[in-house]
Amino acid sequence: MLDNVSDLVFGAVFDAVDIGLVVIDSEGCVVCWNEWIARVARRPAQEVLGKSFYNIFPDARRTRLPAVIADAFQVGSSSILTHTLNALLPLRGEGGGPLLHNIIVRPVSSMHTNYCLLQITDVTVAVTRERVLRERQNARYHAIVDSAPDAIITIDDSRNIHWVNGAVDHVLGYDHSELLGQKLDVLLEPDNPLLPALAESVADQKVDTAISVVGRYKNGKSGYFDISLGHWRADQRDFVTTVWRDVTERVAADAALRDARDALQSTNEELESRVEERTREREIALRQLHESQKMESIGQLTGGVAHDFNNLLAVILGSLSLLKKTIPEDARISRLLDRAIQGAERGATLTSRLLAFARRQELKVEFVALQKLIPEMLDFLRHSVGPNITIHVGVSSEVCAVEVDANQLELALINLAVNARDAMPQGGSLTIACHNEENGKRVGLPRDPFVCITVTDTGEGMTEATLARAQEPFFTTKGIGKGTGLGLSMVQGFTAQSGGAMRISSRPGEGTTVTLWLPRAKQDAKAASAETEIARTKEARHLRVLLVDDDILVSMGAADMLLDLGHSVTEAPSGAQALRLLETDPPFDIVVTDYAMPGMNGFELAQRIKEKRPKLPIILATGYAELPADRSIEFGHLSKPYTSRDLASALDKALD
Amino acid sequence: MKVDPGELTEIEQDALAEIANMGVSRAASSLRQMVGEQVLLSVPSVRIVTREAAAILVERNNPKRLVAVQQSFEGPFAGRALLIFPEAQSLELVRSIVGDEHSLEDIIDLEQEALAETGNIILNGCLATIANVLHRTMRMSLPSVVRGDGAALFEVDGAASRAQFVLFLYIDFNIKKCDVHGFIALLMDLPSIAALKAIVHDFISAIEKQQSGHVG
Repeated sequence: MLDNVSDLVFGAVFDAVDIGLVVIDSEGCVVCWNEWIARVARRPAQEVLGKSFYNIFPDARRTRLPAVIADAFQVGSSSILTHTLNALLPLRGEGGGPLLHNIIVRPVSSMHTNYCLLQITDVTVAVTRERVLRERQNARYHAIVDSAPDAIITIDDSRNIHWVNGAVDHVLGYDHSELLGQKLDVLLEPDNPLLPALAESVADQKVDTAISVVGRYKNGKSGYFDISLGHWRADQRDFVTTVWRDVTERVAADAALRDARDALQSTNEELESRVEERTREREIALRQLHESQKMESIGQLTGGVAHDFNNLLAVILGSLSLLKKTIPEDARISRLLDRAIQGAERGATLTSRLLAFARRQELKVEFVALQKLIPEMLDFLRHSVGPNITIHVGVSSEVCAVEVDANQLELALINLAVNARDAMPQGGSLTIACHNEENGKRVGLPRDPFVCITVTDTGEGMTEATLARAQEPFFTTKGIGKGTGLGLSMVQGFTAQSGGAMRISSRPGEGTTVTLWLPRAKQDAKAASAETEIARTKEARHLRVLLVDDDILVSMGAADMLLDLGHSVTEAPSGAQALRLLETDPPFDIVVTDYAMPGMNGFELAQRIKEKRPKLPIILATGYAELPADRSIEFGHLSKPYTSRDLASALDKALD
Repeated sequence: MKVDPGELTEIEQDALAEIANMGVSRAASSLRQMVGEQVLLSVPSVRIVTREAAAILVERNNPKRLVAVQQSFEGPFAGRALLIFPEAQSLELVRSIVGDEHSLEDIIDLEQEALAETGNIILNGCLATIANVLHRTMRMSLPSVVRGDGAALFEVDGAASRAQFVLFLYIDFNIKKCDVHGFIALLMDLPSIAALKAIVHDFISAIEKQQSGHVG
């Protein structure tokens, strides 16, 4: 409905618009063709007006255009044909390049005539802009993901791999395309923390921190990975982009570092414990040294005192025995003398114990069969411990004989039995057992083999503190006046001097076991060496005796005894004097000399005499074991203190 | 006699479904020409419902986000035609039409245009067929793409809601092994529904006459 003016304006507008406008009549011929379409189709209006649209664009017959144009005429429908889904008209832009366009087809009516309007829109710019934008964005994106050292893998909510970057090759060993379409699970060890994390990530849609997982390389080997997850949605679907960082080397380095640290720590601990052990050993050694020094001092002191007492007792006993002979029979005097002798003998016993502890007693080492000695002692032991205590003795026939002083062994066993009795005031049992022991190194003994005698009681036992002091002389747990504190000291001294050892083990309430280690007798030693007592009394004979002693009192006592025995005596106070007397005086029948003398001792004197007068018998009188063990047999021997009878017997033996 | 606009007799339903199937098969041939592959479209059932009911029907078993291609039409009956899909399926549809050579990003870029054209083809096919079959002329607008839930698509809260009804057609697409289920909805006022029914009756009686003529 336009007037002429409007018609002119419409014509100008029709040519001025920036879209293509084509009007087609029901016969398919072009009736309007604006400047824009003339330009892009390279066909001016006068060339195409009145011609069939399909002659101008023959290829348009193969598009949807004929159908939608027909519909527009027949049913009045409007259609849109986009470049996206259709290849449309061969139009070109100003630069000569193909022109992307959409076409809208509408029915139009004018003066009862139906036409069809085609509006052609240039979308090249928009499409190009979109493509450029996308390419630019993609370029940035690819610059990041393709240069990333980590593998980047995008999966959907079913864990199907949709996209990977190039780094999967060197990180996981897969070709770029190999993983597409596979499940992410091929890269994971079973029971992985990633799978639950992924499920959670999809549910919560949150950004997660890295997850450490054990992954699998293409070659089947396992490796450690830190995986970070980025969740995103597109197209109504959930995706997760996973970034895989290979931390296998770092984990290995951490493990190595940890191992090294552990090793260092354990070495340190070991070193510390060694230092502690050494310190402890040193402390023990020092304590033992201190203990042995203390025992040594006590031993020397005890030994010295006992030696002097012994000499004095020798004088007293000698004098008393002489006195008893010379004084006429008088019951009262005789009783007093006996009592004095008994007292002196008990004193001698005490000093012998002291000497035993000091390991200076005279030991008469002999072959002792324990199978014989112990049962023989049994009555005496029973008597000692009383009726409340049962004694068990076990000495099998295999137990070897020992080489010790039998009397001292008996004394030791009695001491132990008495101690056991005192530990069992309510009664109990005492067990004496013996066995062979091959290895003495266990208790620090240098030589083998041994026989062990164990004496076990069921008494109250000892505390550690008591046990530590048990072997000290004069230490006693018994009440004042009840014990001398010399019992165990004597046993200890005896075993040590015999070449063995003593060990005590005890716990409060669990009884005490004392073990004596005694040297085993040599195989060829004779059981029959038990001394046959030489009881024969020699018919009295007159001897000229040279008596050597530095102690005048002792010397006088001994001289008196010799005179009493009917001999003549010349006394010498020193070895030198004795040698001079031997030179000048008429020949002596025998020399009796003390051992311990200043200047020249008894043994040296005896050797000198032997050089000059090899046949002259010599008797060495000793208070303790100061004689070199191997030499003592060369000469006669007399233990101090001695009685007149001991002296007579020694003279007899020496002259035999 | 009161006519319930929501009621369609069995024969009316069959007739409308027949017409709709003719329309979508026409659309399918257009798509096939465009895609170059077999495209199957079918309308298994037809109902007339209120807009509220339609809003609920399109959301059933679907997420609330829907996409629709909409065109208005004028003629013996007038209203709006909508082709409706769940939003996610719309992209599947576009992907199957534009082909695999496009990346996901490309498809997202193309979605709007491609969807508009595809919807245009299908809706035009249906409306043109109805017009052809009924020997009437109609005017149809260009397509536009709208998004929203069922209530928004059917303007449930609009002023004229009570007066308008929906001819509701289920539609199944099968393109390149991709199955997409959607709906075609024709929103019309009561007179348009009545006019449509009257036209359908004419169609039915013409067919009956034709058949009896053949028989007689």
